[in-house]
Amino acid sequence: MDYRKSQQQLSLVRNVVFKQLLDTYMPLSVDRAACARWANGLPRVGGTIIYTSYMYQLGSVFKSYAKLLERFSGVKFAARFTSLGGVFVRPKKDELERASLILNNIVSLLKESHVEPAYLYDEEPYSGALLLELGLLDEFQTYGRKLLDFLHARGIERLITVDPHTTNALLRLKGFLGADLDVTNYLQFVRPAKGGGRFVLHDSCLYSRYLGMGPGIRGTLKDSGVSLVEDRMVTAQDTATCCGAPVESLSEELSERIAEARAAKLTSVCEDVLVACPLCYQNLSPYVKSIRDVAEVIS
Amino acid sequence: MSDDWAIALERTLRNNTSRLDTIFADYPFLADHAVRLRQAKQKALDRLDEYVKMTCESVEKSGGVPHIAKDREDAQRIVKEICGSPGIVIFSKTNVALELGLRESLSTQGHEVWETDLGEFLIQLANDHPSHIVQPALHLTKEMVGRLLHDKLDPTVSASSSYEDLVAAVRAFLFKKYVAAKVGITGANAVAADTGSVILVENEGNIRMDTVVPSIHISVTGIDKIVPTLDDAFLEAQVQAAYAGLYPPTYINITSGPSSTADIESKKVSPATGPKEFHLVLVDNGRRKARDDPDLRDALLCIRCGRCYFSCPVYWTIGSEWSPPPYGGPMGAMWSAVVSDDTRPASLCTHSGGCKVVCPVQIDVPKVIEHIKWLNSKRETT
Repeated sequence: MDYRKSQQQLSLVRNVVFKQLLDTYMPLSVDRAACARWANGLPRVGGTIIYTSYMYQLGSVFKSYAKLLERFSGVKFAARFTSLGGVFVRPKKDELERASLILNNIVSLLKESHVEPAYLYDEEPYSGALLLELGLLDEFQTYGRKLLDFLHARGIERLITVDPHTTNALLRLKGFLGADLDVTNYLQFVRPAKGGGRFVLHDSCLYSRYLGMGPGIRGTLKDSGVSLVEDRMVTAQDTATCCGAPVESLSEELSERIAEARAAKLTSVCEDVLVACPLCYQNLSPYVKSIRDVAEVIS
Repeated sequence: MSDDWAIALERTLRNNTSRLDTIFADYPFLADHAVRLRQAKQKALDRLDEYVKMTCESVEKSGGVPHIAKDREDAQRIVKEICGSPGIVIFSKTNVALELGLRESLSTQGHEVWETDLGEFLIQLANDHPSHIVQPALHLTKEMVGRLLHDKLDPTVSASSSYEDLVAAVRAFLFKKYVAAKVGITGANAVAADTGSVILVENEGNIRMDTVVPSIHISVTGIDKIVPTLDDAFLEAQVQAAYAGLYPPTYINITSGPSSTADIESKKVSPATGPKEFHLVLVDNGRRKARDDPDLRDALLCIRCGRCYFSCPVYWTIGSEWSPPPYGGPMGAMWSAVVSDDTRPASLCTHSGGCKVVCPVQIDVPKVIEHIKWLNSKRETT
């Protein structure tokens, strides 16, 4: 195996993205106001916030992160450049519209459960999940301290997350730094709602095999009227696999090959695929004709 | 992923999952065995130096010769000295021997060296690398095996031969090697510190031949395979077989010293019919260092059942290319760091998490790999 490329990519993240995060709370310069536009009407201040970490708004940007880094760097070796400050990424209009529907639906589901979150709008910082998942643990904790200071300074006591990567990153951050912060995923609040359709569920690896949320999500979906098709070789906890997204920033090819294989298995069970993670959605979409997010099928 | 790899893997995944489901339904006590085994292995790691010493003393007491090899070169030297002048040396499938390059080392010395595990024999014939720790020839379809044997061993078999005929062709060839071999080299599934016994679990019967027919038996294994008692060692054999999908195993072999008899006036005499010499080579090669790293240490609990391979999408996609042989899959991402000081394979882990779910001894594999990723991240900038 030739690891030169993946090691170079790791250097890019470490040397450039980490610095960008420390400077701006974002892994890339993006139009944060556009990313926050979905949330008209939510209060800006409150002890409980909905925390998107831009995962739904920028899923396709995160999916293309490896390409972006390489393109904008202009060189192959990270040591030769130090900043992404001049790079400005515009979120896709379609993606923002879809994210708006999903996030507003999540807010509605939370309100049904008597949770009224505030939102940080264009001040919202990124979670640092990328650093954690690449094993950049020192950098993750350094950025995490800054992130926690930011949240504490705004009097935030409870974060309601909307995706598995952010949920996991914040819980790990609490473990590393002992932060006094309540982190709860929206799916842990949601009561059985209105829903329908017949799907094969692609579990998020973090929800299912790390955070113990798999049975709860299945229960909520079924109680909401969603029919799930199960297969011993595809959807069981010990046979299901990830979509490949976590390795995308180091090896795009490996990530896509994993996604293609996973999509083939899922669609062999049912043509309609359901996901619970914006990165799973992005990675599997090229290989699945009909794919939807949990927050698109219950309301 | 090549078409052949995809076909072979898909067949294996289905067969393995189905077998395991049946095994755990029929023998539910195996899960408890696995818990007890983890405790025993933890105990051995906690007091590793003490148990290494106890193992060596026990081997000597049973008439065997213990050796400690600190690294690859040391192990090669010890084994070469035991094997002596060139002759036929037969190997059971021993991953530690592959880790140490013993086959190549002995070949260079003029020995005629043969693998006797069917899968490993096929890999040797094909001059290939193992693709799985328990099923090294997993990447070869039946048709590929038929062509390989036709070209390299027996022109009467072919891609269309039956499974049985392919196995019979290898059996006929290897039988001639068993009877002519001077040394049999095996690994160990477990080593009991209290008795110095080596436990080997298998289905083919080749290990039985390797350990009994040649006049010298050498067991080469890592110090991580030491467990406190013979009872613990039998646990490991059962758990390893079950989680590899082969329970009950056809054979569990126990070797405590060279062959012996006490049939004349209860006087113990050695050798008897089997080997006249038994050597146990306990290999460090990075294991003590890993034991002393609290975040890497749990890698040493691995019993090499290979189940984690089947739960891993990275392994499904890039197979044996992921990490240096013989260790592959998620356990290979850990063990490359332990024995080769290679932290790069861990960087490609997608934390899919199935490895943690299926591990019989409850190693939090993704957590160990996360630590290795961290080690790797410290290196790539230096």
